[in-house]
Amino acid sequence: MPGKFGKPTDPDYEARLAEFEARIARGEKIEPGDWMPEEYRRQLVRMISQHAHSEVVGMLPEGAWITRAPSLKRKMILIAKVQDEAGHGQYLYHAAETLGVTREEMLEALLSGKAKYSSIFNYPTLTWADIGTIGWLVDGAAIKNQTMLAQCSYGPYSRAMVRICAEETFHHKQGKEMVITYAQGTPKQRAMAQDAINRWWWPALMMLGPHDSDSPNTPTLVKWGIKTKTNDQVRQEFINEHAPEILEAGLTLPDPDLRYDSATGNWVHGPIDWDEFWAVVNGNGPMNKERLEARRKAHAEGAWVREALAVYAARKQQTAVAV
Amino acid sequence: MDTQWPRWEVFKQDTPAKPHQAVGSVHAADPFHALLTARNVFARRPQAVSMWVAPASAIFSVTQEELAEGQEPKPQAPDPRPSTFYVFRKTSHKRSMTFVDYVGELEAASPQQALELARQRFTDAEALAWWVVPASSVTKSENSPETVESWFAPAKDKTYKQQSYYGLVGAPGSKFKRPKGDDDE
Repeated sequence: MPGKFGKPTDPDYEARLAEFEARIARGEKIEPGDWMPEEYRRQLVRMISQHAHSEVVGMLPEGAWITRAPSLKRKMILIAKVQDEAGHGQYLYHAAETLGVTREEMLEALLSGKAKYSSIFNYPTLTWADIGTIGWLVDGAAIKNQTMLAQCSYGPYSRAMVRICAEETFHHKQGKEMVITYAQGTPKQRAMAQDAINRWWWPALMMLGPHDSDSPNTPTLVKWGIKTKTNDQVRQEFINEHAPEILEAGLTLPDPDLRYDSATGNWVHGPIDWDEFWAVVNGNGPMNKERLEARRKAHAEGAWVREALAVYAARKQQTAVAV
Repeated sequence: MDTQWPRWEVFKQDTPAKPHQAVGSVHAADPFHALLTARNVFARRPQAVSMWVAPASAIFSVTQEELAEGQEPKPQAPDPRPSTFYVFRKTSHKRSMTFVDYVGELEAASPQQALELARQRFTDAEALAWWVVPASSVTKSENSPETVESWFAPAKDKTYKQQSYYGLVGAPGSKFKRPKGDDDE
């Protein structure tokens, strides 16, 4: 009997693969329990768990500002946003679990530094304007990517993405509103907004991943409908949407080469500093060590809560049996 | 050491007219913990009237593919006292937001028998996946109006969590239309 996760060495792999690819071509979702190539499963686990880790680590740069929000309204918005990120992590870990990986394995990979998460969260949040800018640029870039992934061929990932995009749109809009409010404010507020945009613009472009020519997984991911667009396509969409809005808000972008190309309708950007990107991805960004340490500390310090809940559950079960 | 809590499958009902749907899972130590976590994870926006949780280990699930290949798990010894099973079914792989939906309950002596009966009874649509769950392992949010209100309504007045609250600020060609009631800055 064939395995659920086919390897090229399976005698019936080619026939199964043809059937699988025909399903994707027909626009069907692949669901847990369906046959799939082992490589499809591997790529999904890699992407989904990285994505889940990014949501969880993403709570850190913003969570640090909850106590320093300038008004009660902004505080409530930020708490809701950080809570959403925790929920997104949960949706995504669940989607990965349907592929046979355990939550514990994924957490272990994160805490040991083996697993990656989005490079963007290794930058510090220096001022309150960074919180708005993260909403506008970082969540804006994330939505572009996630809207694409909501079309993905794997059912559980696709459903998680639809849900996440709906909530992420709130993050994007509140960030945009916050930055525009500052851009229309006092000279000091305008300067804060501009400084934040200057620092986050390039990392936001980079978080959409290396150029297509340096992205070895992309062709496989596109072929199997995991991704439906390439990194450069998503990045171009992001720039086309955000550059004119930021300029309209009276702010500038830190790219002297940025220009609108009327022939293609695209905003053309200058060269991206990929050395910086790879340094951050490989653990040498400004905040990599702090972020991982904060996660490990939270996990260790939460141990008593996990133990208490387990003991409580065991005692309740015993009582139920005794009665 | 296994430090991982058991996994619970979460079924959410959006409105009284809709079926409970499998929306994802949570890890929790006991049923009530699972229900509370499920509410925090899956109902942060006002879109639920009821939630059920069941330990993933109690769910007997079979796909169309497995049935076709005779791969479903071996029958267990039938229970001399038949009990109630909830039946869930997935009928489409087409769109993103298609779920495993609750279709009804039946009495059976084992999950396998419940599956057989379900395949005879619920024939209005082709099933791509079946989930059969003993009713005794399902924990439900309380159905009283007070509980529904206290569990699911608090999200309703938190309009700042909705994207619609922020209007079309900064859209191309806009004049930076500001949302109403924005007076704190």
